[in-house]
Amino acid sequence: MKILVTDDSRVMRQIVIRTLRQAGYDDHDIIQAENGREAFEMVGAEKPDLVLSDWNMPEMTGIECLEALRAAGSQVPFGFVTSEGSPEMREKAANAGAIFLIAKPFNEDTFKDALDGVIA
Amino acid sequence: MTLQEAQPITTLLDTRTVQSIADEVWPSLVGDGEAFVPVPVPPPGDVVSAWVDIIGPWTGSVVVTCAPATAEALTESVLMTRPPTVVDAEDVADALGELANVLGGNIKSVLPGESRLGLPQMGVAPPHGRLDDVRSLVGQWRGNFLTITVQGAAPAPHAERDEVPL
Repeated sequence: MKILVTDDSRVMRQIVIRTLRQAGYDDHDIIQAENGREAFEMVGAEKPDLVLSDWNMPEMTGIECLEALRAAGSQVPFGFVTSEGSPEMREKAANAGAIFLIAKPFNEDTFKDALDGVIA
Repeated sequence: MTLQEAQPITTLLDTRTVQSIADEVWPSLVGDGEAFVPVPVPPPGDVVSAWVDIIGPWTGSVVVTCAPATAEALTESVLMTRPPTVVDAEDVADALGELANVLGGNIKSVLPGESRLGLPQMGVAPPHGRLDDVRSLVGQWRGNFLTITVQGAAPAPHAERDEVPL
């Protein structure tokens, strides 16, 4: 399975990848993008099976990326990993087609709860 | 000028809430067993800050301030680096910025109304506004000075009139 981790922070991408491994998802291909625009392009080029994305990023935000993907016909499973988890954002994410929103700070249990059933 | 002045942060956010957010953020981001301890230690001569802005019914910044060496040690802890790997200035700005970002996102979520969070910035902390619009936790990490400050934005300077006196 190929997972696209999108965050403008290299540190946070590293933490997300580390947490994926700690949660037991350690035998998947991980690819990375620095913002929504790069993620949008990589979904087309790399055909990931899952996108894990930050919300607040320069160039193109995570929610704009998700909306652009759905408008372009992509149904790639998409989940947010973001520092903001307000009810309004969760609703906005769900309405745009996200399958979960993990709020930072997180640990491997948070990842397992959100990803079990999504990652084979 | 709005009809209703925004409430200062001291009425919107108590110290215990900020500490409980830090208690969740430190082990997750900085590392297992790590903690922000709200016991002040003398401030260092030189400090760096990272912050995110919150823009909404309450507007201001969430600022993390510590010595440059503490910021570097925090980065090493966040990235779990081991010698001979060294962290560079970009890593330090990224790690301290993410710490401010995650603290800021969680603080934003307990404030009333809908707000927007800015992107992390690093440098000299922005000036704050009214003194009653500052909620500051002075403490330490691994014995080193570190503060978490939630501060209202400084008022915009009055626009200069460019009228020529008659």
